[in-house]
Amino acid sequence: MKQLSEILKEVAFGSLSSGEAEMVIGWQKGPFWWQSFPAFITDPGGTGSLIWDPFSVSNLSKYLLKEVPEKKIALFLKGCDALGFNQMLRDGRVDREKVLLFGIPCDGLVDPARVEAAGLSKGLLQVKKEQEELIFYYKKGQRKAPARDFYYAKCLSCRYPNPVIYDQMLGEAVPCQPVERFADVSKLETTPLEERFSYWSRHFSRCIRCFACRNVCPACSCRECIFDLAEPRWLGKANELSETQFYHITRAYHVAGRCVDCGECARICPVGIPLAELNRKFIKDINELYGEYDAGADLDKEAPLLTFKTDDPDVSSGS
Amino acid sequence: MKKIAKEKLALLWELLAHKATLYFPLQEDGAVNFAPWKNGAQVDFGVNSIVPPKNVFFPQAETYLRFKTGAKRLQLESVEPEEKFILFGVRPCDLASFNILDKIFLEEPTDGLYAKRRRLGTLVSMGCNEPGETCFCTSFALEPAFAPGADVMVWDMGEFLLWEPRSTKGEALTAVINELLDEAAPEETAAAVRLRDTTAAGEAAAARQRGWNTEGLQEALRGKFNDELWEKLYHRCLGCGICTYLCPTCHCFDIQDFSRDLEGERFSCWDSCMFAEFTLMTSGENPRPTQKERVRQRFLHKLLYFPSKFGLYACVGCGRCVRKCPVHLDITQVIKEAGGVVSGS
Ligand code: SF4
Ligand code: SF4
Ligand code: SF4
Ligand code: SF4
Ligand code: SF4
Repeated sequence: MKQLSEILKEVAFGSLSSGEAEMVIGWQKGPFWWQSFPAFITDPGGTGSLIWDPFSVSNLSKYLLKEVPEKKIALFLKGCDALGFNQMLRDGRVDREKVLLFGIPCDGLVDPARVEAAGLSKGLLQVKKEQEELIFYYKKGQRKAPARDFYYAKCLSCRYPNPVIYDQMLGEAVPCQPVERFADVSKLETTPLEERFSYWSRHFSRCIRCFACRNVCPACSCRECIFDLAEPRWLGKANELSETQFYHITRAYHVAGRCVDCGECARICPVGIPLAELNRKFIKDINELYGEYDAGADLDKEAPLLTFKTDDPDVSSGS
Repeated sequence: MKKIAKEKLALLWELLAHKATLYFPLQEDGAVNFAPWKNGAQVDFGVNSIVPPKNVFFPQAETYLRFKTGAKRLQLESVEPEEKFILFGVRPCDLASFNILDKIFLEEPTDGLYAKRRRLGTLVSMGCNEPGETCFCTSFALEPAFAPGADVMVWDMGEFLLWEPRSTKGEALTAVINELLDEAAPEETAAAVRLRDTTAAGEAAAARQRGWNTEGLQEALRGKFNDELWEKLYHRCLGCGICTYLCPTCHCFDIQDFSRDLEGERFSCWDSCMFAEFTLMTSGENPRPTQKERVRQRFLHKLLYFPSKFGLYACVGCGRCVRKCPVHLDITQVIKEAGGVVSGS
């Protein structure tokens, strides 16, 4: 069977040379083993540099908001990316006709921090995945370890490893074996209020207000964001805990019901703030209040926070 | 040279914290950052901090003026730092970044608050035994295990720390903790020299392997303002604040007011050339309309504009941006592509 990375180059080449797409968004490799990053290719000759490896974690679909909307763009979507794409579609921010989607079944990607923590990063040149194993290549020799031990937290709880939307799927569906995603939320819910408050205060006081969590989020697709406005200035520019709390509460509320739980915000936060727990609290509450709803996957269900029903649990019954 | 046994370190921290606010690389929820030491805090010298220690001199937000109206006249009150502090465990790259910040904040017109903090602080630098994967300080002519500007230089020798005062401030600090220090034996002092040499040599070899240096870089960049390099690079940039906020040499700031009713305060706060609003004018005009111009600004400022004006690069090779940029827009690759001369061998 052909390697996925080879198939990916082929379809990229095909879509550009046939004129089906004017740009392909994929991933390229940098000099370090963990550097796989978004690449924007317009020349069919450049598609040979595209890769798929255990670090191809960047969600490429968010770039559709920035790239020239007139162009027809081909891009690759993993399971989590597909959910984000669907949400952007539902929010009316992308034109389905203008994109060509190649789905990639993905059973998990590698968190470089876990490789480091396991003491495997010194002198490491390359990491490859073969079936359920990772192979670590060094100048002299190699080592093997079970791949799942190194996956991102978001991948361990991934429920849609196989893209839910695509024009062409580039591989065999992978099995899905998610760990319980609400465990941390349930634990937090049972801690006393003051403890919960100090938990979040401790985390938020580390926030450097870089907005990477917002910029990477497929549900954050407003053309103008209130956090950027100078007039009126809703969010003060001082990195003060109260302002930062305002930022985080507002962000979490604004993506509530639209957050697809792709885990990108928590993954890229440079100071390790567990934003996924906050998002999942909202998801859990929505599920409990209005019935199960999976943003990005349940396209034919009504969006609970955009739909009013007289029997909604929060409709007051009095006068 | 002096030394201090590791089992005495807890005592040392307490003694120092008693004299002044003691900033340390502390670990919290797995993240290492400089923060005031308290009893029970988890000191971590193993990795360099995520946020550089520049925030001790140049805080992310700092009020410098309080105001009140309502009475007949506007009342103004300036706010100034008074606290003495010790900044312990600064890596040589970050220590070198203070020279760069000094160019901005100590030259006329001087930033009085920054200047005062520079006077109030004592800098204890810790040499790096083993530079990390993304470190490239040597490419900017710095030494991993030695920081010329430190008041005290310390080295982690396993069982003990070597302690070398290097300035009057450093001597004064040493006098305070003298009871905890022992005289280092000649072979122990020699070990520190060896450590300096081996890390420097190891990193010089690594620098050669990186395949670029800064020789001729400014010349090469001068003609590249309209180069297609920027076109190629910018697409993937998310326009976040990670690379600039985590950079020890980035120093851009904004001035803002916070007020309610008839009183308020005026503060300065970090800003970043990677944000779209950074150059947005009141008229609505933005001279850097897309991320392309912003990415170009970041690299050209560090590698061309700053060195042309002040004679040194505004990068110390700490590698934070390389490590933390979510899309791996790697400054070392930019230098390489932009024409940092490829060194022999
Ligand atoms: S969250 Fe799922 S689809 Fe996304 S990278 Fe992880 S395993 Fe793959
Ligand atoms: S990514 Fe992290 S540090 Fe940056 S704004 Fe979001 S929570 Fe704060
Ligand atoms: S270069 Fe990287 S860290 Fe810097 S703004 Fe762009 S995405 Fe963020
Ligand atoms: S540009 Fe990057 S490597 Fe250079 S000093 Fe800044 S953060 Fe460190
Ligand atoms: S212009 Fe950009 S790169 Fe230069 S100091 Fe300011 S934030 Fe840093």
